[in-house]
Amino acid sequence: MLFTQLSVLITAGVLIIIGLLAAIFIDNIIKKIIGIAFIEEGVNLFIIAIGYRPGGIVPIIMPNVDKAYYAANAAYPLPFGLVLTSIVIGASTLAVMLALAMVLYKKYGTLSTSVMLSGNSKGEGKDE
Amino acid sequence: MFGYVLMIITVVSAILALIQSDLFKAAILTGFSGGALAVLFQLLLAPDVALTQAIVGVAIIPAFIALAVKKTQREDS
Amino acid sequence: MSELWIPLMVVIPLICALFVSALSRFNKTIKVIALVVAIVIPIIPFLSNYGLHIFGGFLPMTDSITGMVYHPSIVYSFGVLQKIFIVILGILAFLVLLIYINKYKKASGPYIFLLFMGIAAVTALLLTDDIFNMFVFFEILALAQVGIVAASSLDNNYEMALKYMILGAIGSPMILLGVGFLLAITGSVNITDIVAAIRMGKVAITSPVFLMSCGLIFFGWLYASGLPPFHTIKSGMYSKAEPHASALLQAFTVISMVSIILIMFRIYSAVPIFEALLVVFSAIAMILGVTMALTQTDYRRMIGFLAVGELGFIGLGIGLGTQFAITAGLFQAVNEIIITASLFIGFGAIAYLSGETDTRKMGGLIGYYPKIAILVLISGLAMAGVPPLNGFQSKLMLVQASLSCGYPELSLLAIIVSIATFVVFVKAFYTMFLRPKPNTLKISNKKAPKSMVFAMVVFLIIIIVLGFFPGIVTTGISQFAGGLL
Repeated sequence: MLFTQLSVLITAGVLIIIGLLAAIFIDNIIKKIIGIAFIEEGVNLFIIAIGYRPGGIVPIIMPNVDKAYYAANAAYPLPFGLVLTSIVIGASTLAVMLALAMVLYKKYGTLSTSVMLSGNSKGEGKDE
Repeated sequence: MFGYVLMIITVVSAILALIQSDLFKAAILTGFSGGALAVLFQLLLAPDVALTQAIVGVAIIPAFIALAVKKTQREDS
Repeated sequence: MSELWIPLMVVIPLICALFVSALSRFNKTIKVIALVVAIVIPIIPFLSNYGLHIFGGFLPMTDSITGMVYHPSIVYSFGVLQKIFIVILGILAFLVLLIYINKYKKASGPYIFLLFMGIAAVTALLLTDDIFNMFVFFEILALAQVGIVAASSLDNNYEMALKYMILGAIGSPMILLGVGFLLAITGSVNITDIVAAIRMGKVAITSPVFLMSCGLIFFGWLYASGLPPFHTIKSGMYSKAEPHASALLQAFTVISMVSIILIMFRIYSAVPIFEALLVVFSAIAMILGVTMALTQTDYRRMIGFLAVGELGFIGLGIGLGTQFAITAGLFQAVNEIIITASLFIGFGAIAYLSGETDTRKMGGLIGYYPKIAILVLISGLAMAGVPPLNGFQSKLMLVQASLSCGYPELSLLAIIVSIATFVVFVKAFYTMFLRPKPNTLKISNKKAPKSMVFAMVVFLIIIIVLGFFPGIVTTGISQFAGGLL
């Protein structure tokens, strides 16, 4: 056995917490977005860890695998299917956020969120 | 043992990416973290997810971040 | 055979979105496609039978040892509630597209793409019986909303879009984490299976993992519906989108709120604290929405906060948890979609004609635009709950429901919030339409766009019909609520 399921879960938790702290406390928008990517990776790792079976086999039915052996040893494949979707969704939200950040950099000339999202600079922004 | 090494790489490179003052290095370290995660997925019996994560986490996400950094500024002011 | 129409309710807007985006160079073509599909969307629910659609044909399997039924594939369930909401959404989508296409000579393909993506996403949220499918369309809906706001031409729209996106990117992994916890306990993402597992006592209701998943999905729900602490960002989203788009955005919010709350109600209604949580957050939303609306001078912000306050009524009804209360809450949701859309479009017409959004600089507009003034007045009165309009019927039902549940405080709160809404609205109406016109306000000679007036007249008809005959909607919803308990 390479490692325990618990250690994977702890890694996922640490990744999520690092990401959350970064997304809340770091001022730089690109780093905020990187932090959000870490949250998503942590959640993915968590869901993969649900399906993991220590000492099991890969849940792909090969022609020469005995069905009873497969059923007794294979990992649970449903979470793996979910994570595939979730990875792609994470990448697309990241792309949209980076695009918006680039547009706002053009307007404000800085990556600092406290300047960027306050909504008042260069005389623009009438409300808030 | 290999699994624990991968977990440590994932977490440490994530932390390093967030305390880097050069955003370009941060993008590359994000790729390290994603790559280690992909191998970890392989060890967790999910080879198909590992393939996707290898492409998205190692190539696409760092490339997006690096492009954004190139179009904006490199230093974390 | 006509159950085949059920997936088409989602598939047709999605395909149309792709086509419109691909053909965006041909202006006429995309306008025609968009209008035709917008007419088709409210018709499909009438063609379809009630029932289930199982994707891929993987029929439910029964475990021969435990007798449990498992659903191996994604299931869409279509019932009377889904029919009501999809028809209302379809009518609204048609009117919004009509306004958009009339307003701009050159229609933008990607913009129509975003509108249809949003429509497909909320339809799927309503239909789906699969909690991971809910997460996927939740994410698509958030992206579509951000895109719609980013595409508007108002000041500071990108800032608002990025803020909403960052909060969303924190909120949606939380939902996914909650889904993961549920998957870890029950081994399934199908809601019917999860509910069966909970009913059979396979899940310890007070276990920390189950409560944690409840909390995480609840957090995501607060984000999706813009209840506190997200009320400022949600009303900001409404005020930064173009008026017809914000009419559609608030419908997205209401429908996603209702569909996620119903999923949560099915799973977590056994948790004792869940209904109390719903009621508390709804009450805070009602109070905060109205008080913040009182202090606003920008009328779009004001309507945004009022819309958030009205969402509290829906949560209140469902949080009370009896059949009558749930019926009242869902009826309030139907009414709110129509009333708020009408208000957004009416005030949008005023913004288009006068070019001014600050109520302090306005006045005397009733002499110039009497038609719009009357239509706005009636929708505002409907929102405040003046008889015999539809808002009155649903709010009366809510007050009765909270009285019969033994919470006279809540009915008192509902009445006070209704009166405060009335005050906010009358104050805004007076400053905008009735008081003498300030000299600084310039009135252009433009005429009110016909499509906007047409849309408001359609909403007015629905408001009055539902006000006099609430049974059209409530009998169906009541059946649904009875099945839910």
